[in-house]
Amino acid sequence: MLLDRTRGKTPAPLIEKLPSPTPLDEVDPLVLLPRRLADRVRTAHRDVAMLGGRLIFGKTPAPLIERPQRAPGAVVSLARKAPHMTRTVEVVDVVRETADAVSIYLTEEDGSPIEFKPGQFLSVDVTVDGQTLRRAYSLASACLPGVPVHITVKRMPDGRVSNRLNDTIKTGDTLSVLGPSGNFTIEPRSLNERHFVMLAGGSGITPIMSLLETVLHHEKRSKVTLIYGNRGWDDIIFRERLARLSERLGERLVIDHVLEKPPTGWSGGEGLLSDDVLLERLDALGIEDDGMLRYFICGPTPMMEAAHEVLNRRGVDAARIAEERFTHPEDRHAGLGSAKTELVVISKGGSDHGVQVAPGQTILEAALAAGLDMPFSCAMGGCGACRVRQRSGDIQVEEPNCLSRSEKEQGYVLTCVGRPLAQSRIEVEGS
Amino acid sequence: MLTDKVLDNLPFSIRRRLEPYIEAVQVMTETSNPKVLRAMAPSGVRGLILQRGKQGVPTKMPSHHQTHFDWTYPNDQPEMRDLYTRAKEQQWNGEDLPWHIDVDPENPEVPIIPPEFMSYDELRGMGIKLTELEKHRLNASVGAWMLSQFLHGEQGALFAAAQVTEAVQFFDGKLYGSTQVVDEGRHVEVFHRYLDTKLNKLYQINDNLFVIIDALIQDSRWDLKFLGMQIMVEGLALGAFGTLYQMTKEPLLKELLKKVIQDEARHVHYGVIALRDHFQNELSESEQREREDWAFEVALLMRNRFLSYEVYEEWFEHKITRKQWAHMVSHSPGFEIFRQVMFQRLVPNLREIGLLSDRIKPHYERVGLMQYFDGRSADHLSGDELIAELDAA
Repeated sequence: MLLDRTRGKTPAPLIEKLPSPTPLDEVDPLVLLPRRLADRVRTAHRDVAMLGGRLIFGKTPAPLIERPQRAPGAVVSLARKAPHMTRTVEVVDVVRETADAVSIYLTEEDGSPIEFKPGQFLSVDVTVDGQTLRRAYSLASACLPGVPVHITVKRMPDGRVSNRLNDTIKTGDTLSVLGPSGNFTIEPRSLNERHFVMLAGGSGITPIMSLLETVLHHEKRSKVTLIYGNRGWDDIIFRERLARLSERLGERLVIDHVLEKPPTGWSGGEGLLSDDVLLERLDALGIEDDGMLRYFICGPTPMMEAAHEVLNRRGVDAARIAEERFTHPEDRHAGLGSAKTELVVISKGGSDHGVQVAPGQTILEAALAAGLDMPFSCAMGGCGACRVRQRSGDIQVEEPNCLSRSEKEQGYVLTCVGRPLAQSRIEVEGS
Repeated sequence: MLTDKVLDNLPFSIRRRLEPYIEAVQVMTETSNPKVLRAMAPSGVRGLILQRGKQGVPTKMPSHHQTHFDWTYPNDQPEMRDLYTRAKEQQWNGEDLPWHIDVDPENPEVPIIPPEFMSYDELRGMGIKLTELEKHRLNASVGAWMLSQFLHGEQGALFAAAQVTEAVQFFDGKLYGSTQVVDEGRHVEVFHRYLDTKLNKLYQINDNLFVIIDALIQDSRWDLKFLGMQIMVEGLALGAFGTLYQMTKEPLLKELLKKVIQDEARHVHYGVIALRDHFQNELSESEQREREDWAFEVALLMRNRFLSYEVYEEWFEHKITRKQWAHMVSHSPGFEIFRQVMFQRLVPNLREIGLLSDRIKPHYERVGLMQYFDGRSADHLSGDELIAELDAA
């Protein structure tokens, strides 16, 4: 201070603002004790917690010491790594459908065709910037012998996988896939005479395409009315294929294109597939619900909600509506489960198996890594194949997923996107 | 036993809670020498009852030994000086091990421990049917558990070696001790690296191992620290490393163990020469008796209680009792060999330092350990000879 004064510096006239004091209720009272005594109290507290936890709550201290998640590229042993659930399929052809959509034709690695039901999807793993991302893509081809099998991928804004596939996929590449999965399907029977109303928006056409081609091939007396919404004429995926099909099948396939930005002279439906537009198109097409119609809907969430609203208003029983929802990956609420390894006891086939689920790991991954034969298919919460009943504990399931509200209320969880928050018990039903 | 009958009649969930504590009380009441009980009981409470090693926070243990300075730097123990020279010449770098080897602990072609290590028939008798993959995984877990305990033991050895270096009154012993501190640091480094990067799994310290480390770190008597660390823990570790060295088919682990065994042979040798004269000439009869009993109790603790309970808690706690697990492990082929080799190394060293008097021999006889009495002690066995013996077995 004296030195500063001699240099001509004067002390600041105002006292600098001091940090505000810690509120009393946030002060650890032990800091008021001498350090050695405070240490003893803390130790005694831990001792009592350990003893009480074990004796009263039956809680055994975790046998393993938590390891930090290893950085990418570090050596990770298979001991905690999920086994390979995916398989490799070959890309045998790539066809550009629109400026923003590409069809990728696939076979199994040995060249045999991929077996699936119409409307089902593949879970595709793609590694982007060192991170493996899993996405669902519908098999859009007719489910018929000799027809090449393909998925169709539409470029999504900021979609890391869809853009990567649109930009780089080529014949001769391979993809890691799971499935086919999904219950958005039809069991065609040649004797049937049915009328299907199919509502598709944008890339929602992909499972619908497979459904309508397959069912119209097998059921010669059935018909399909397709209301198909797109932004513009050039955005219509499978436009030519649908036109050819319609020409061949005549009245059995009615296609109603609805365009948000129609070209000049357009006489068809206009606008987004909102409830008003949908009602108008159904009326315009003369669709009267006779209590027998079956509805298949797939598209963006607002369109799906509008479709449900309209069908509900028309008195359509929910049991006659099938839908396929694909969530935008960025909208998914991941949830990493517990920060420590948790025990999950899995009752299966009359016996119990204890499985340690590491932080971040799903129950399915841990169970498969433990050698358990678990049911699963898409491994991304979309098909329900891995549905189990939670008997105790706390399990966090990624949202959204394919479980209905009533399934959730009954205590069902999905192991593929389920992570324990505490020691839990689940039951694999029907095993 | 009465406690067994009581336990057998309890509901499973209650039994599961009480069993470890009843076992802890049994361990302590089995100790016949009151001085040993007095010395070990606080550690027993901290390790077995309060499970201080598993509380998820660093453990603080006060030490009560005196640091022994000598400003004259005497050349007082030529055998220790010789060990010091050898230790300097035989230093190695943990980095030089073949870390590039990819380790898959579940690969049955290259198992960490042999497939027949555990008694799967006995497990099946308890209603636990394991798939082949589950068996590989259980074996990998037992391997990881053993290596985790080696690592925890090495951490104890690192600090005990530092304490012993301070406390020992031989100046040549202090110089040698400095190399042992480096050795133990290196062992911690390589075991931790192996568990961390190859197995990615680390078990908590076994409560019984904690008791031994706690007892000898906190004991003020330098010779008891020596006995505990250099003879008991290092001796048993030498046997354990040797067994695993013989059994494992995993090349990186084999190489790692080979290097560690050569160091350990020096450590035990040091313990034998430091304690031999001290026990035979410096101690009163009752002090000698106490050390004899202490060594016997620790040997029993290692033999009877070192039963991979942490693996049980990870795998089977909800399924079978602790007693059933203990029975299965005690009778599994792998653990039987393990114990045999451990005591084959330990018993001759106890004889050499004078802790196998005619008074204690019947106790060792009773638990079947006297068969190892005539073996070669560590001061007659170099690291290279040890490895050659293991390779030939």
